[in-house]
Amino acid sequence: MKEGFRQAMAWLHTWAGLILGWLLFAIFLTGTLAYFKSETSRWMQPEIPVRSVSAETSLTVAQHYLEQHAAGASHWLIELPGARRQGLSVHWEAAAGKPGQHGEQLLDPLTGTEVHPRETLGGEFFYRFHFELQMPYPWGRWLASIAAMLMFVALISGIITHKKIFKDFFTFRPRKGRRSWLDGHYAVGVLVLPFHLMITYSSLVMFMMMVMPAGILAVYKDNAQTFYQEALPEDEVRPAVGNPGQLLSLAPLLEQANRLGTGGRVAEVTVNHPGDANASVVMAFDGADRVVHDFGRTVTFDGVTGRQLDATPERSLPVAIAGSFFGLHMGHFASPVLRWLYFLCGLAGTAMIGTGMVIWVGKRQLKHAQSAGMPLELRLVDVLNIASMSGLMLAVATYFWANRLLPVAMAGRSDWEVNGFFIVWGLSLLHAMLRRGRAAWVEQLALAALLFGAVPLLNALTTPYHLGMSLAQSDGAMAGFDLACLASGLFFAWSAWKIRRSGRTQAVSTKRPRSMVLEQEAN
Amino acid sequence: MNAKPRTLPVSYRLAVASRVLAAVFGGYLVAALVSVSLSLWLPGARAEAVVIGMMTSFLVYLLAVIWCFACASAWRAWFGLMVPGLMLAALAGLAHGMGRP
Amino acid sequence: MLLAALLCYAGFTALCLSMDRHHAELLGHKPTPRRRFGLKLLGWLLLSWSLWAAVVAAGWGSGLVQWFGMLMLSALLLVLLMPYRPHLALSLAGLCLLASPIAVFARY
Repeated sequence: MKEGFRQAMAWLHTWAGLILGWLLFAIFLTGTLAYFKSETSRWMQPEIPVRSVSAETSLTVAQHYLEQHAAGASHWLIELPGARRQGLSVHWEAAAGKPGQHGEQLLDPLTGTEVHPRETLGGEFFYRFHFELQMPYPWGRWLASIAAMLMFVALISGIITHKKIFKDFFTFRPRKGRRSWLDGHYAVGVLVLPFHLMITYSSLVMFMMMVMPAGILAVYKDNAQTFYQEALPEDEVRPAVGNPGQLLSLAPLLEQANRLGTGGRVAEVTVNHPGDANASVVMAFDGADRVVHDFGRTVTFDGVTGRQLDATPERSLPVAIAGSFFGLHMGHFASPVLRWLYFLCGLAGTAMIGTGMVIWVGKRQLKHAQSAGMPLELRLVDVLNIASMSGLMLAVATYFWANRLLPVAMAGRSDWEVNGFFIVWGLSLLHAMLRRGRAAWVEQLALAALLFGAVPLLNALTTPYHLGMSLAQSDGAMAGFDLACLASGLFFAWSAWKIRRSGRTQAVSTKRPRSMVLEQEAN
Repeated sequence: MNAKPRTLPVSYRLAVASRVLAAVFGGYLVAALVSVSLSLWLPGARAEAVVIGMMTSFLVYLLAVIWCFACASAWRAWFGLMVPGLMLAALAGLAHGMGRP
Repeated sequence: MLLAALLCYAGFTALCLSMDRHHAELLGHKPTPRRRFGLKLLGWLLLSWSLWAAVVAAGWGSGLVQWFGMLMLSALLLVLLMPYRPHLALSLAGLCLLASPIAVFARY
């Protein structure tokens, strides 16, 4: 600890990275997958018809449906189909006192008929997992935030300790064993640093009200709610008046809202007290036209007269800055090109964490190469590495396979898709414990290669929406998903092959000649 | 690390543990105190001050953690956190006494 | 975005060549001090120009995001190409420079 600043930071970097490195790998991987959550959901519910109808048509269809099925409800919520969301969905809430129901239904925006796709969480599972970690509220978020803070410390200490950060900026020397792994760790770390810093810091900001409430408590004491009202003023919902009123046709209001020009396109329409004289219609925008995330920007209309009642005021500068952190992290605004870039950067971050963990084990394995076994802590890290990296890939593949193999009408199938994910992840841990390090890596990666590579085939065998059809119809989401799985399979196959090969050459070069024959036979 | 002895002395382990405690808990405390001070003292709307305070606190936490491991001894780690901590607490108390915001 | 990407890649290649080690790797000999300075200057100019191009095309908000994206993408591409296909890495930079006037009019 007394050896100097750089060395102290090297120690800090190692430990901050090691403590929750496996969790961070999982968070980064699932978060990266979440950038394509809509496309994933689309692949996992191929029954939802793809329609290109205008937003106004969808809204009219939804309104008719709700007027028939939920006329007495206190609130309606209509989610319009968008560039990245198929399917029109409606939700309604029962009125107080009336024996109504609350419900939701997916509709075909062209015909207005009900759509019943297979029950699944789709891409939302990865999205939710990466900040809730499948733990009850609020523990998962706390753990994810702690991991984020450790990531932040590891990033900055890594930058400080990387003496040759400028000299080695363009350096990457493949085919040199350990040196290449280190170069690779530097490359995906340094070259993508703006993204890593942004994603880490923004993740802290996104949970700041939960993890750093001291300021709110000091200023607002018992009235924390007042803080939210002051920071993000919202339009008041007018209560029902009890007299009937004819709800206007919503489509013209939609047109009016979209013409306002700010906040992007309308994504959600809420109707408060439909059928009442005091009905109000709140249009919420998707905010996809700007980087800064606009917390709930809305415009409100009177439901009977159509008069514009309210619009969310401009957010203050600090709130806009916080909003920019939210927006940059989530990337809602990203066009297809930028979205792929987000994905690539996320993979780079995942690789940065993964290479770091592997390098740590590799360096210490060298020291113990001649001894019979590995010390406990080294074996622990090695096993956790395998389970959290290749094991996680297997779990993801299982999730997709379960989606196609579980019967469509099966009750609780979405729960079982998730169960499959965790069961296989657990099995991969067992496998890693039972097999020696290198063999475990090769076997798991080879299986992952098989599972991912076969996804297009699985899709073709279990649904009519196979790759040939999706390519012919230029269905980007379906085709892209199948192809991405195929590419992943090829990558895992290549990785497994490389590790197997390097295992052979290493065994030959590090053992003394006399035992070489015996070693080769054992391998 | 280069010349580590086969088994680490207990004093080393205690020093590391002390620094870790200082960084994790002391650092959080100092970060929280900074956010409180900013929330109470920044001019303008109080909600805005609170938001700025929260966003800034993570940078402070980072600096505190780095300090705890970069400084020459575990004692310095704690000292280096307590001094600003007390000053910030005094600032916050002053604001409270003055009836801000 | 396209113009910014082209200029980023060319700029990074110039900066890379301005370093003794990489200049020797790619072109066979160490650069003279004058060439080193010239390449550094060219590199930074190209990167600045790419920032300007991104902001002009998409405003400060989106423009900055796109610029950082192109910055990271082009750096990754260059660093991964160099050890495997050094000649391609260099020719690509030349191509980027040639294509940039066209990209100015592509307005993407």
